[in-house]
Amino acid sequence: MKHQVWLIRALALGAVFFLAVLLAKPIGVSTQFSVLSGILHSAVDETVITENPERGTGYESTNAYYDRGGGKLAQAIANPWNYEFVFVLAIPVGAYAAYAANDKKRRSQMSDAGQLPGAPRQSFLRRYLPAFLGGFIILYGARMADGCTSGHMMSGMMQGSVSGYFFAAAAFATAIPSALIARRTAIRGGK
Amino acid sequence: MDIVLAIISGLLFGYALYLVGATSPKKIVSMLRLEDLTLMKTIVLAIGFASILLSLFSMPGLLNIGHLSVKTMNLGVITGGLLFGIGFGTVGTCPGTCVAATSSGGARKAVSAVLGGLLGAWAFSMTYGWWSSVGLFSVMDWGKLTLFHISDKFPSVFSLGYAGLLIVGILFVISALILPGGRGDPS
Repeated sequence: MKHQVWLIRALALGAVFFLAVLLAKPIGVSTQFSVLSGILHSAVDETVITENPERGTGYESTNAYYDRGGGKLAQAIANPWNYEFVFVLAIPVGAYAAYAANDKKRRSQMSDAGQLPGAPRQSFLRRYLPAFLGGFIILYGARMADGCTSGHMMSGMMQGSVSGYFFAAAAFATAIPSALIARRTAIRGGK
Repeated sequence: MDIVLAIISGLLFGYALYLVGATSPKKIVSMLRLEDLTLMKTIVLAIGFASILLSLFSMPGLLNIGHLSVKTMNLGVITGGLLFGIGFGTVGTCPGTCVAATSSGGARKAVSAVLGGLLGAWAFSMTYGWWSSVGLFSVMDWGKLTLFHISDKFPSVFSLGYAGLLIVGILFVISALILPGGRGDPS
């Protein structure tokens, strides 16, 4: 039964998505990238978010996105200690617990920091720029879609949300060719 | 109380993401190259199992329907998804998994992705007004449409309720079991 270990883990992942809805609300992550970048933005430019007691949220913004839906994002940026933000902050703690609980062999497989012995050391930019640019396009796309793998694909599809199905189809339509092209480029580049 | 629930569910989510291997860009990329479909099986099974639990708890009224939350459908979901996929396929990470990976192996690349993500999210905030003005979010605006009638809050494609979601959940679980792979994890 050892090869069925994936099944138990998949059931655990599904149970967590269900438990989140049972206790509070569906899991979502990408909105908090907008919140945190908005916190930094409003720290630099204090005029971007202002209080407006006439609104239900109590806040308004000169930025159309922060101001959307009656200033919901403006409110979250001004008062970030809410469910969604704390939820995202707890993710790395939980992941670290799982990482620490696992054996060393699996840990070394999970790491991408290691280099092949004898391989030329890549420059700082070459190692970290692709991840940075990837993160940029992933979050730009996720915010445009108003959700990511967690919010649209997992939480959305489990509720039978039509937008979740469209997001998953669109994401895989470019992700599969991108992954195949990236491999070919890596082989040609002698990496 | 909200904060305690947030901490509990965030911890569990981070733990589960690591457990299934989703924090590893290598595993995501090998799924997308269709080399090892274990992670695909995991995702499909997890969605199906969550749907089944949701249906079984909702039918006898054991779940507060007010907790459900569905996202709006519009053209931005498709164009955003297409953009998302380019990064997802090239780098092998997504918003949840790169946050989880900052503490669990491959930390430096994960932090690079998180920083890039913060800049990307901010860039979207700055350009949202323009996208909105050209009508990206008003084309295919079907509202918070769901397949089945799970709540009076959302319009649905079919009038069938949780029984429909239960059937789809079971179909997802069967598909996950049929998909090849599942022996790829040597741990």
